[in-house]
Amino acid sequence: MITFESVTKRYADGTVAVDSLDLEIPDGQIMVLVGPSGCGKTTSLRMINRLVEPTSGRILVDGQNVLEANASQLRRGIGYVIQQTGLFPHRTIEDNIATVPLLNGVSKRQARERARELMQLVGLDADTMARRYPFQLSGGQQQRVGVARALAADPPVLLMDEPFSAVDPIVRAALQDELIRLQAELRKTVVLVTHDVEEAIKVGDLVAVFRPGGHLAQVATPERLLGAPADDYVRDFVGFDRGIRRLSFFPAAGLALETQTVLPGTTTAGAAIEVARREGEPWVLVISAGREPLGWVAVADLEGRPDSSALSEARLTSVEHTFRPDTDSLRAALDATILSRTERAVAVDERGQVTGTTSYEKLRDAIRGAEDAADRGEPPALARHPAEQVL
Amino acid sequence: MVWSWIPQNWTSIWQYTLDNLLLGLLPPIIGLIVSVPVGIACVLWGWLYPPVLSLSSAIYALPSLALFVVLIDYTGLGNLTVIIPLTLFSLCILIPAVVDGLRSVQESVRQAATAMGFTPVRRLVQVELPLAVPVIIAGLRIAVVSSISLASVGQLIGVPSLGYFLIDGFQRDFPTEIYLGIALIIALALICDVILVSVRRLLTPWLRGRQVSAGPIRVLPITAGRM
Repeated sequence: MITFESVTKRYADGTVAVDSLDLEIPDGQIMVLVGPSGCGKTTSLRMINRLVEPTSGRILVDGQNVLEANASQLRRGIGYVIQQTGLFPHRTIEDNIATVPLLNGVSKRQARERARELMQLVGLDADTMARRYPFQLSGGQQQRVGVARALAADPPVLLMDEPFSAVDPIVRAALQDELIRLQAELRKTVVLVTHDVEEAIKVGDLVAVFRPGGHLAQVATPERLLGAPADDYVRDFVGFDRGIRRLSFFPAAGLALETQTVLPGTTTAGAAIEVARREGEPWVLVISAGREPLGWVAVADLEGRPDSSALSEARLTSVEHTFRPDTDSLRAALDATILSRTERAVAVDERGQVTGTTSYEKLRDAIRGAEDAADRGEPPALARHPAEQVL
Repeated sequence: MVWSWIPQNWTSIWQYTLDNLLLGLLPPIIGLIVSVPVGIACVLWGWLYPPVLSLSSAIYALPSLALFVVLIDYTGLGNLTVIIPLTLFSLCILIPAVVDGLRSVQESVRQAATAMGFTPVRRLVQVELPLAVPVIIAGLRIAVVSSISLASVGQLIGVPSLGYFLIDGFQRDFPTEIYLGIALIIALALICDVILVSVRRLLTPWLRGRQVSAGPIRVLPITAGRM
């Protein structure tokens, strides 16, 4: 647990970077500090490991006031990752990663062994890269080394100052996914600074939005930030189409699926029309014997055919997009629905077998239900899914 | 050229070459030992650097021969009279080299080192000085080459060096000696320079295969003009 107790940082020229900040960062969570430049987010981060010292107030790491700790010892227990990586150009990758263990007096052999373990953990090939120098690596690889170096002494706390800002968007997305994956495994207390609210929403368990002048505007889960911004400033900062983006935090599992109009290809046109009329559906989904989706058939099209003809002989509209209720969010279900020419999306399980279909009406009910539950304070149940972009 | 003169005088040629080498190398070595702590102090206390720089530029502007003559009263006609001025000249090159080298370390690297728990002394020894090596050695190369060539001026006050052949050859109107003296001074300087480049390569394996920049070295007046 990291606690800021009315922390103020005022510089000699009178600028107030952080103004009586109160903030609690729970153990094992990713807390993202986000805001425009000059809002004090980086200063706040750097006060945790005493790169900057507060003018007044206290910062406690696990109950200990950081100002009362030995600065070098304190820092060795706090991992630190920065945008420009700060890798030592004169040390090999393994020695860069081994830095803090070596400072702590671990033998060179053990420290290098640990470094190689960490390289595997962050997705770098130790055999080919351990003996290289930082300049021989790409920007994304260097940033991975930076993360490995910060984790080398297994510190409980990890500070990350705009760690992914200097790499291109594709590498950035990969590194963000990597952080989410690592965090699921390591459960560190992570404080991450960014100016990118999308990044905050994607990787944060909690997001602290700063406003210029070093004030805190809101601390909330990403879902709450999108669903209930505290004021106009946060609303503007969170940005465009937050309603849609918020759906990423609601699981599609709660969606009512239409199963009656999912029919095997051997069904007769007459029987299909009867089912569709009873369900009030203008489309039926044709599936194979193995329950794989074959295509949509319009009821209107069936009406011009002999009642005894098989569904598989009718004109099929292909199924382009499916979603998985067990892992996807309502947003993915909505997206699949929007992209479908039939305004219906096909739900499949992990084997690709159809479990039902959904429509705008059903989505609307599910979205309303999820939003109401969230507004009542029931946390959304969706586990973070690295592959899913929250944009 | 009277080629036969060379093998006939082999012993004295060898002796003067060794004398010149010693006079050329000792000053930069002493200079390096002094300029590392002075340079560190100048980086730590920024206000110290401008006066140090002014003073060293002023010393550098003095003719070497004038300094030799002044020092004779105190140190006599021995090696010391040549070594002291040449050491001062080396300092003029090496202090800025150390300062520039330390300042060439990226701020992000310095900050990361602090944040990882390096104490200031450890950071200096393990991070900043190793990264300053290319710039310091670039300065050392200039200091060594100029020192080797200036050492020959010491011959004017009787301190033995390859300058002997220049003076003797001139006095006897015997060009072979002059050519030989010049050739040997150049050869000594080149050999020492090549050795220093190799040392730099050895000390900085992380620069291999990468374009090396010597860093922001101040270009000082060419020493040969002082002879």
